Amino acid sequence: MPSNIQIRLATDRVNYTIALNQRIPKIYTPGEVITKQNEFMRGHGTYEENGDLKASVAGVKEEINKLISIRPLKCRYNGETGDVVIGRITEVQQKRWKVDTNSRLDSILLLSSVNLPGGELRRRSAEDEHMMRKYLQEGDLISAEVQNVFSDGSLSLHTRSLKYGKLSQGVLVKVSPTLIKRSKTRFHNLPVGANIILGNNGYIWISPIMNVEESSVGGFVQNLEEVISKPERETISRLRNCIQALAQCKMMLYDTSVLYAYEESLKYDVKELLIPEAIVDLGILTQERISMLTSG
Amino acid sequence: MHTTKIFIKKNKIGNYLKHAREHYIRDDIYCGFESCDKCTRATSNLSSKHVNKCNLLKNNHYLILDTNVILDQIDVLDENVIGNVIILNTVLKEVKHRNMPIYKRLISIIENPSRHFYIFVNDFNKGTYLKQELTELINDYNDRCIRKACSWYIEHIPDETFVLLTEDKNNRAIAQQEDIPAYSIVEYVQNLTANENLIDKLAKKEFQEKFNAADIFPPHLTIVEIDKGIKDGRLHQGTFRASRDNFLEGSVNIQSFEEDVILRGYSNLNRVIDGDVVAIEVFQKDQWVSPSELVLEDDTVNALDDNLERKELEISKQRTSKKNIKPTGRVVGIIKRKWRQYCGILQEGSAAVYHLFLPADRKIPKIRIETRQAETLKTQKIIVAIDSWPRNSRYPNGHFVRALGKIGDMKTENEVILLEHDVPHSQFSEEVLSCLPKLPWLITEEDEKVRVDLRGIDICSVDPPGCTDIDDALHCRPISDDKLEVGVHIADVSHFIRPYTALDTEAASRSTTVYLVNKRIDMVPDLLSSNLCSLRGGEERFAFSCIWEMDHNANILNTKFHKSIIKSKRAMTYEEAQLTIDDKTQTGSLAESLRNLNKLAKFLKKRRMDNGALVLASPEVKIMMDSETHDPIDVEVKKLFETNSMVEEFMLLANISVAEKILNDFPDCAVLRRHPEPPALNLEPLVKAGKHLGFEINIESGKKLAESLDQATRDDNPYLNTMLRILATRCMLQAVYFASGTFQKHEFFHYGLAVPLYTHFTSPIRRYADILVHRLLAVSCGADATYPDLMEKKKTAELCQNMNYRHRMAQYAGRASVALNTHLFFRGKIQDEKGYILYVRKNALQVLIPKYGLESTLYLGKKDEKLDIFTYNEEDQTQRCADVVFHAFDPVTIRLSMDSKNIQHEKFVLQLVFPVIEGFSVPPLEDVEMPEPEIPHKKRKK
Amino acid sequence: MSRKELISKVGLRLDGRRADELRRIRCKLGVFSEPDGSAYIEQGLTKVLAAVYGPHQVRGNRLKAQADAVIINCQFSMAVFSTSERKKRPRGDRKSTELSLHLRQALIAAIEVEKYPWSQIDVYVEVLHADGGIFPACVNAATLALIDAGIPIKEYVCACTASIANNNQAMVDISHEEEILGGPTLTIVALPMSEKIVLMEMSQRFHLDHLKSVLEKALEGCKNTKNILDQAVQNHIVDVGASTGWASTGEKVKR
Repeated sequence: MPSNIQIRLATDRVNYTIALNQRIPKIYTPGEVITKQNEFMRGHGTYEENGDLKASVAGVKEEINKLISIRPLKCRYNGETGDVVIGRITEVQQKRWKVDTNSRLDSILLLSSVNLPGGELRRRSAEDEHMMRKYLQEGDLISAEVQNVFSDGSLSLHTRSLKYGKLSQGVLVKVSPTLIKRSKTRFHNLPVGANIILGNNGYIWISPIMNVEESSVGGFVQNLEEVISKPERETISRLRNCIQALAQCKMMLYDTSVLYAYEESLKYDVKELLIPEAIVDLGILTQERISMLTSG
Repeated sequence: MHTTKIFIKKNKIGNYLKHAREHYIRDDIYCGFESCDKCTRATSNLSSKHVNKCNLLKNNHYLILDTNVILDQIDVLDENVIGNVIILNTVLKEVKHRNMPIYKRLISIIENPSRHFYIFVNDFNKGTYLKQELTELINDYNDRCIRKACSWYIEHIPDETFVLLTEDKNNRAIAQQEDIPAYSIVEYVQNLTANENLIDKLAKKEFQEKFNAADIFPPHLTIVEIDKGIKDGRLHQGTFRASRDNFLEGSVNIQSFEEDVILRGYSNLNRVIDGDVVAIEVFQKDQWVSPSELVLEDDTVNALDDNLERKELEISKQRTSKKNIKPTGRVVGIIKRKWRQYCGILQEGSAAVYHLFLPADRKIPKIRIETRQAETLKTQKIIVAIDSWPRNSRYPNGHFVRALGKIGDMKTENEVILLEHDVPHSQFSEEVLSCLPKLPWLITEEDEKVRVDLRGIDICSVDPPGCTDIDDALHCRPISDDKLEVGVHIADVSHFIRPYTALDTEAASRSTTVYLVNKRIDMVPDLLSSNLCSLRGGEERFAFSCIWEMDHNANILNTKFHKSIIKSKRAMTYEEAQLTIDDKTQTGSLAESLRNLNKLAKFLKKRRMDNGALVLASPEVKIMMDSETHDPIDVEVKKLFETNSMVEEFMLLANISVAEKILNDFPDCAVLRRHPEPPALNLEPLVKAGKHLGFEINIESGKKLAESLDQATRDDNPYLNTMLRILATRCMLQAVYFASGTFQKHEFFHYGLAVPLYTHFTSPIRRYADILVHRLLAVSCGADATYPDLMEKKKTAELCQNMNYRHRMAQYAGRASVALNTHLFFRGKIQDEKGYILYVRKNALQVLIPKYGLESTLYLGKKDEKLDIFTYNEEDQTQRCADVVFHAFDPVTIRLSMDSKNIQHEKFVLQLVFPVIEGFSVPPLEDVEMPEPEIPHKKRKK
Repeated sequence: MSRKELISKVGLRLDGRRADELRRIRCKLGVFSEPDGSAYIEQGLTKVLAAVYGPHQVRGNRLKAQADAVIINCQFSMAVFSTSERKKRPRGDRKSTELSLHLRQALIAAIEVEKYPWSQIDVYVEVLHADGGIFPACVNAATLALIDAGIPIKEYVCACTASIANNNQAMVDISHEEEILGGPTLTIVALPMSEKIVLMEMSQRFHLDHLKSVLEKALEGCKNTKNILDQAVQNHIVDVGASTGWASTGEKVKR
C-alpha cells in the first residue's frame, strides 16, 4: 500500500477559484427577464412568457444581431458541423454505430461515413455490415468530425479523413465542453513529446507520438504491442494532470495554456499535481503567463 | 439580521444519541430600557417611575433574580412592593422546567404591566450568550449566564444600578468579585423600607440552623441514585397517597405490584406529602403488614416538639397480624414534590414566633411557620405554603401566604372549600364580560332564517324547584295515529360562547358549574346562565333541538337535530309536573304531552334495565337554608318523583343519539363519555360484603351485577339492598370524558348505563363538555363552521382532561359543602338516629346515617385504644361483645353530637344507643322517638 | 396549554428564530466533477447533496424514451448516519419512493421538458443530515444542481415548510425539534417568481382557518429561499466566469 495517502476534511477544502479583477458582466439566472421588447429572437437558454424574454439558465447574455441567448457556464456538448470530437462507441447497430460524445443524445457514425480498409471508394457490402464489430466495437474510442446535426439534436459523425479514426494507446480526459477554447486546429503535436486532441465536446485525448505511417492505415488498427517508454508515459500523465488542474480551476484549455501549465508543473512530481494546493498554484502561474502573453 | 452558532447536545435515551440543535444568536434583542438608544425597540414594562426602596442601596435600582429566588420566594414576588425586575430567559426556562405552577404565577406577574417585570432574552442575545463548557454543570452554566447578563446590563446602561438577588452563596460571592451587587433575598427584603408583612412571606429554608436538632429522618437519595435504583429494579416510582384516617400511613401505587404498597411510620414515610411522586423500596415479604385498621391523628401541639416515638410505638404493635398482608415499603427519595398552597388554621398553644399550621385537608401534615401576626391570624383561615422539610425537623417548614377571613364565617368556609378543590371562582373579568351580548337581546330576522321556528309547539321544562339555569325542555305530540314526535330542546349556549373568545377560554378553564349548598359558582356569567340561555317559561329562546319520531313503544323511527327558536310554555318543577300528570282533570296539550312522555320514558327505562344498566345509590341530601341568615335549618333527603326519571330518560336518550351522530361525523375528535368497567379487584369489597350476608354477587358483567344486586334483598332489613348499592357505587370507577381518537372503539363503552356510546349534550349551561358537543353537532348538521382546535384530537384530549379534573373537584367541593353545612346544622344538637354499619374496622364501626346522608365513625372504646370487651373477627368482619355481634349492614341506633373543640375539624361524636352493651352504650334520649329511616333516593350513575 | 410553546412569550422560537425567519441557508454549486451538475445545501442542520446527470441518451429500457419530452428520473436517499439513530435505509422503501416521486413532480414543473426529446435527466439527492424540512432541502438542492448542469428551467423551484405554533401563529421553515413538538406541517414546492404552487403536502390535517396563513408563510419562505439561492448562483457564476475569463462567451460576441 502506498504510505502517503492524502486525506483532508471538507472544512480544509481549497478554493479553486482564481479570482481575477475584471469587469463582471451581467449575470442572468433562470426566470429573470432579459428584455420586455419583442423584436429580439429567442436563442438558447431563453424562453418567452407573457411577451417577456426570460432566461432559463444561469449565465451571460450573448447577442448576435437580434438573436439573444444565455450561455450557461457548463452544459452538455452542443455539436456544430465541423467540430472535432472524441467519442466512445456505445452500441453497434445495423449500418451504424452509436457514439457517446457527451451530448445529450448519442451521436451516430454511419457505416457509410467511415473509411473502410481497402480504399475510400470501396463499396459497402452486406459483409461489411457483419464485420462492423470487427472494425469498431463497444468501448472503442474514436476521433471524428461532426458531419451534420439532426433535427432532434443528435450528431452525425464521419471519420473520412486520415486524421480521424480509432484511437490507440493514450489517455482520455473529460472536461466540460465549455472549457475548450474554440480554435481551428484540434490536433496538437506538443513539443514536450505527446500528441493531444482537444475535442470540442470536452473529451481530450493525449497520446504518445507514433510513427506517421501507422496512423494512415485507415483508423481501425490499434497498435497495442508497442511499449511506450516510462518517460513518455510520465509526460502523458503530467499532461493529463495539468489539464485536470486547469479544468479544476475553470481555465480555458488550448494548446498554449496546456503547454504553459506543463512547463509550470515541472517543479512538482507528477502525482503531487493532484494535491489541491498544487492545482491552485499551477492555475495561478499559468494564468499569469497567459495574461503576460496577452498584455505583452 | 442574525448570526449563527451551532452546538451539539448529547442526550441519553437508552443509548447515546447525538442531537444537534441550532442556536441563533441575535443582535436585535431589546434590553427593556426606554432610555437606551443602542437597542431595537420593543415593548417593555420596566419603568423609571417605579422605585425600589431598600436600605442596602442608596438609590433606585433594578433587580435581576436567580432561579432559586423565584422558586422559593414567589409569594414575596407577588407583592406589589417589588418591581422593576428583569427576568432572564435562562431563569424563566429553568423555572418552567422545575415548577410549572410557579412558572404560571410568574408569567401572570410578568404580564401585569403595573408590576414592571421584563423578560430579557439573554440566551439569544449576542452580548450575553455564553457557550457551555464541556465539563461545566448546567447549574454552574446558568449561574455564569446570569452573572454575564448582570455585568452586561451594568455596562450597557451605566446610569442605572442593577442588583442580583440569589440564594446561592457561591454565586453571590463570585458575583461580588465581578463587581455585581448581589444580595440574598432575605437580606434584601429585611432591608426593604416597606417590608412589614413581607418577612412573614419569606420562605424558610433554613430552620435547621436555628434548631440544631438531631436528624430524625433518614436522608433522601439523590436523583442519580434514584434513577439507577429504578433501572436496577431495586426501587419503584409511584405517587404517594396519604391515608385520611391514619397520619402515619399511606400507600403508593406502583406498576410492578398489583396492590398498593403500604408505607407506615415516620421514618418509612420519610417526609413525604400526599401527591408527591416518590421512589420507594419494597421490603422483604416477612416485613409486610396489613393495612392498619387504626384511626390515628396527630395531636401534637408544640411547634418545636419533635418527639415521635409514642405514636410510632402504637403503629409497630400492629405488625403482629400476619393475615391480609400487603406489600410494604419505605420512601427512599422524592422524585417530584406536589406541594401546593394549603388552607387551614393556626394551631393554638404556641406563643413564640413559631407556630403550627393545621391544614384543612387531613392528608396533609401540620406545617411549621414563622409569623409575628399570630394574634390576628388565630381567628382566621389562612393559606400557607410549604418551603422545605429538613431531616431534623418533625414538620415541614412553610410560610404564611395570606388570610382568607374569619373562621366559621360562611364566606370564609366556602372560600376554603373552593380553594382546596382548586375551583376557579374569581369574578368574571371585564374581558370575559365584554364577550356577552348587549341587552336588550332580540331575535333578528337572520336568526329566524337559519333556525327552525318551534315557537308554536307546546314545550315545557321540568326542573328542581328554584332552578334558574334551565337548560333542557321537552315536548311530545302525536304526528299520526301510531307515531309520536318527541323533542328535547337544549339551550343553545354555543351560539353565545364563540371559540377563541375570552369567554370561551374562561368557560373551558372552569369546565363546570360548581354547586355549593348556598352558593353557585357559574361556569358562564349570570346573564347567560340565568337569562339568555335559560329556557324560561314564556320567553323566546334559542335552542338546539333533538327530535325523534317514535312509535308508542318508544322505538325510534327517525332522529334529527337542528337549531331552533322555542318558547317554553311553562317551567315546571318535578312536583308540579307529577301533579299535572296525575291530575286526570287536566287535559290540556301540555298535560297530554307530559303523560305521553312519561309513558314513553317507562318503556325506555325498562329497555335500559334489560340491557344491564346499573341502579346505584348514594345517600344524597338537601339542606334547607334559612333565607335570612343563610344558616342551615334542616337536612332532608331529596325527594324523587316519577317525573325525575322521565326527564332523565329523555336526556339519556338525547345524549346517546348525539353521541352516535358526532362519532359518526368526527371519528377522531368527538367528545364522548366513557365509564370503564371496574376491575374485579375494585369490586372485591362488594363481593365480600355480599358473602358475609349470604348473597352471591356476580361481577362477571354489568348485567349480571345488576341482576344479582336486584336479588340481594332481605325482608327484615329493607335498607340492606340500598346499602349494597351504595357500596357498589363506591367500587365503580369514575366516568370520564375523552376524545374519540384517543381510545379504541370497544373502550367507549359506558358501563353504568350499559350503552356503547354516550356523551353529554343536555346541560351546556353548566358543563363545558356539552358546549363542545354542541359545536360538533352544529357542524354535523351544517349550522356552524368548525374551528381548528375543535378538529384536533390532542387539543380535545387536553380539554377532556381538564373537564374530568374540574368535574371531579366540583363533586368533591359539593360534598364538602354539604358536610360543612351538616356540621353547622348539628352544632349544639344531640340526637338519636337510626343508622347502619357500613364497615367493621378493628377499633371502630363505620356507620351510615341515611337521614342525613352522613357517614361517621363509632369508636369502640376511647379514640386510640379499643375496649377489650370487643373481639374483632377479621375473617367475618365482625365485632363481638358477649352476645352482641356487629355485622356489616346491621342496623344500629346512634347518638349524634358535635365535638366542636377543634374548630377546624369539627367532628361528629357517635355513641351507641342500641343494641345495648353494658358499659359502652348510652341510654336513649327520652323524648326522641325513633324515626324510621327513609330510603334515600336511588340515583342512577350518569 | 400543556403542549410545549414553540414560540416563547418574547416571540422567539426554540432555536432563537422569529416566526418568519428561515434557518441559515448555505449552499454551493458544482461540488462534484463527474456529474453534469451538482450542488450541496445546508438549511439549518439539514444537509443535502444533489447530483444531476444529463440530459443524456436513455439507457436501459429504451421503450421509455419519449418523442416529446425528456424523462426525469429522481432518486431520493438518506445516509445511514443522517439521523441521530443510525438506521439502514434501503433504497426504494416507501418513504424514499414517495419523496422521489414528489421531487420529480416538483422538477417537471420547471424543466422545459419538451426541449429534449428522447433524453433523460437523472437527479440524485442524498440527505447527509436530517433536521427537519428534508424534502424542501432536496428540492432546493436539486434546483441548484440543475442550474449547475446548465439545464434550462423556467425559474427556480423552491420549497419550504410552515406550521402553526401555539395554535394560532404561523411559522416558517420547521426544524426537526419543532416537527416533533408541534402540530401539522405543510410543505409546499413553488415557483416563487410566478407564485405558482407546484406541490403541497401536509403531515396531518390542517384546519381550514389556519391553512391560509400557513400557506402564505410557506410561500413567503419559498420567495426568501429563492433570493438566497439566486445570490449563491450569481456568486458561483462570477467565480467560474472570472476564471475562464468569460472566454467562452466573449469570443462568441466577437464572432
